[in-house]
Amino acid sequence: MKNMKKITCICLILTAIVLTFTGCNNNEVPVIGILQYGEHASLDNCREGFIQGLLDSGLEEGKDFNIDYQNAGFDDAIATQIAQTFSSKNVALMCGIATPAATACFAAAEDKDIPVVFTAVTDPVIAKLDKGNITGTSDKLPVDAQLDLIRRIQPNADTIGIIYTTSEPNSVSAIAEYQEKAPAYNFSLEVIGVSQQSEVTLAVDRLIAKGVDCFSNLTDNNVVGVLPSILEKTNEAGIPVYGSEVEQVKLGCVAAAGIDYYELGKQTGAMAAKILKGEKKASEIPYETISEYGIYVNKDALAKMGLTLPEDIAQKAIEVKNE
Amino acid sequence: MGGFLELVTGTLIQGMIYALLSYGVYITYKILDFPDLTVDGSFPLGAAITAVLLTNNVNPYLTLPITLAIGAIAGLATGLIHVKLGIRDLLAGIITMTALFSINLQIAGSNLVVPRSVDTIFTGAPTMALLGKMPLIYRKLVVTFIIAIVFKLLLDLYFKTKNGLLLRAVGDNSVLVTTLAKDKGVIKIIGLVISNALVALSGCIVCHEQRSFSSTMGTGQVVFGLATVIIGTTLFKNYDFVKGTTAVLIGSILYKACIQVAISLGLPANLLKLIMAVLFLAILVFGSYQKGAVKDNA
Repeated sequence: MKNMKKITCICLILTAIVLTFTGCNNNEVPVIGILQYGEHASLDNCREGFIQGLLDSGLEEGKDFNIDYQNAGFDDAIATQIAQTFSSKNVALMCGIATPAATACFAAAEDKDIPVVFTAVTDPVIAKLDKGNITGTSDKLPVDAQLDLIRRIQPNADTIGIIYTTSEPNSVSAIAEYQEKAPAYNFSLEVIGVSQQSEVTLAVDRLIAKGVDCFSNLTDNNVVGVLPSILEKTNEAGIPVYGSEVEQVKLGCVAAAGIDYYELGKQTGAMAAKILKGEKKASEIPYETISEYGIYVNKDALAKMGLTLPEDIAQKAIEVKNE
Repeated sequence: MGGFLELVTGTLIQGMIYALLSYGVYITYKILDFPDLTVDGSFPLGAAITAVLLTNNVNPYLTLPITLAIGAIAGLATGLIHVKLGIRDLLAGIITMTALFSINLQIAGSNLVVPRSVDTIFTGAPTMALLGKMPLIYRKLVVTFIIAIVFKLLLDLYFKTKNGLLLRAVGDNSVLVTTLAKDKGVIKIIGLVISNALVALSGCIVCHEQRSFSSTMGTGQVVFGLATVIIGTTLFKNYDFVKGTTAVLIGSILYKACIQVAISLGLPANLLKLIMAVLFLAILVFGSYQKGAVKDNA
C-alpha cells in the first residue's frame, strides 16, 4: 500500500515533468524569452515598452515572434534556471530586464551564443555586459538634470538628503556621481546607506532630524519599495521629495528629472527587432543610454509643499497625477 | 526532444551544484541537530571569493580548495561563538551570517561579474582536454557530477571514521560522547567547519557557472538546504541502503526539478513559490512522511 502511494507519486511527478516539457515550442515562430528580475512598476513598463518597440518596428506577434515571459521574483537562483530554460528551448533572443536578469541570460546564452538584449541596466560596463553577442539600453540617471531641477524649484535649498542601499551597484555609482556634481549646483549632500529595507524609515527620521531641505531618490529598489511610507513622514515634516522616474512622481514625489521606462523599453524593442530581422548582430550594436529625459511634476504635491514651478520648466514638464 | 534533454540536463546541473550546500546543511541540521544559519552568509562568501579570484586570473581549479578553506573559517567562527562564548546555536549562526554580509561586500566591492574571456572550471584547459568535444552544457553536467559524487563519497568515508561516528553521536546522544571522555564542543566545531566549507564550495561552483556574485544570492539558502534535506531523507526513510548523502543529493535535484516544472507550466510568475510549496507538500505526503498514518491503514 505504502509502495503504491510512492510509485503513484513518482509517476505523477514524472508525467507532469514530461507534459510540461513536451508541450513547449513546437511551431516555427521565433520565440523571444523575456526574463524580468521581479514584479516592479518600472520594470513592467520596460517590458511593455519592449513589446511595443517590436511591434512598432513592423513585426507581428504570433507571426514574426512569440513572447515567453518569465519573472524571477527577485531570486537569483530562479533567474538562472529561467535563463537556462530559454537556452534549452532554443529561443531566438533573450531579453533581460534589470542587471541580475541580464547577467543570468548572458551566462545561459554562452553555450549557443544566443543574442541577448538588456534593459534597465545602469552600468553595462561594470556589469560586463558590453562585450559579446549582447546589446541593450542603460537606465543611467540624469544626475545633472535632477540637480538643476531641484535648484530651480528650491533656489534657497542647501542640503539634499539621499538614502541608498549599499549593496546595489546602481545606487553606489549614482551616489558617487551626486557627490561629484552637487558642489557645482551649491548643494551639500547628506547621504545614508542602508543594508536592508527595514532600515529605510529609520534613515528618513535621521535625515529629517538633520534638517535637510529636500530628499532626492535614486532608482534604489529597497528605498523605492517603501516610498509611500517615506512620503508620509516627509509630508508631515514639510520636506519635498524628488523622484528619479515617472512612477515615483505618481506616488507623490514633487518632481523628477528621469527616464521613462516605457520609452526605454521601446528603444530596446527596436534594437531587438533589428537583430530578429537579421539586419544586425547584437555584437555589432553598441549599448545605448537614453539621451532624452523627461521632467515630471506632480502639481498637488508641489502645492502641498508651497512650491511653484518656474515658467520655463512648467512648459516642458509633463504633469502627473497621484495614483 | 533535444530541448527536453537540455532542460533535464540544466536541472540536473543546478541540483548537483546546490547538493554541496545540502550536504552541508545535512551535517549541521540532520546529524548535529544544529540549526546553522551561517549558510546564508557562507554561500555568497564562496561566490565572492571565487569572483574576485577569477577576475584576477587565478587558476580556476585553485578556487575550489581556497573557497573550501575560507568557508571552513566561517564555520569555525560560528562554532567558536557557540561553543567558546556560549551563545545559543541559532544566534551564533545569525551573528556570523550578519557579519558575512558586510565581509562579502568588502571582498567583492559590490556585485561582481566575471567576463566571458576568463576561464572557469568548465572552460579551463584540463577540462577542455578531456571533454573539449562536448557542448558547454554537457561539460557542465560532467564536471558538476564528478564534484557532487566525489564529495558525497568523501563524506560517506568520513562518517565511517572514529571522528565521523563521534559527530553522529553528538546529535543523537551527546551524553554518550561526554562519557567517552570526548569534548562534544570540539566535535560540533568540526561539523560546522566541514559543513560551511561545503556550502562555500557550492557558492564557488555557482559563481563559476553563473559568472557572477551578488550580495543577495545567499538569501533563503538555509531554507533551500532544509527543504532538500527533509525531502531527501523522508523519501528514502524506509530504504536503509540509501545513504543520507545520496538522499540529500536526490532531494536537491528534486527541488530544482520542482522549480523547473513550475517555470515550464508557464503559470503566473507570482505564483511560483506557491506552486513549489504545493509540490513539496505532495512529495512529503506521498513520500509516506507519517509512519503512524501508514500503520493505521495497514
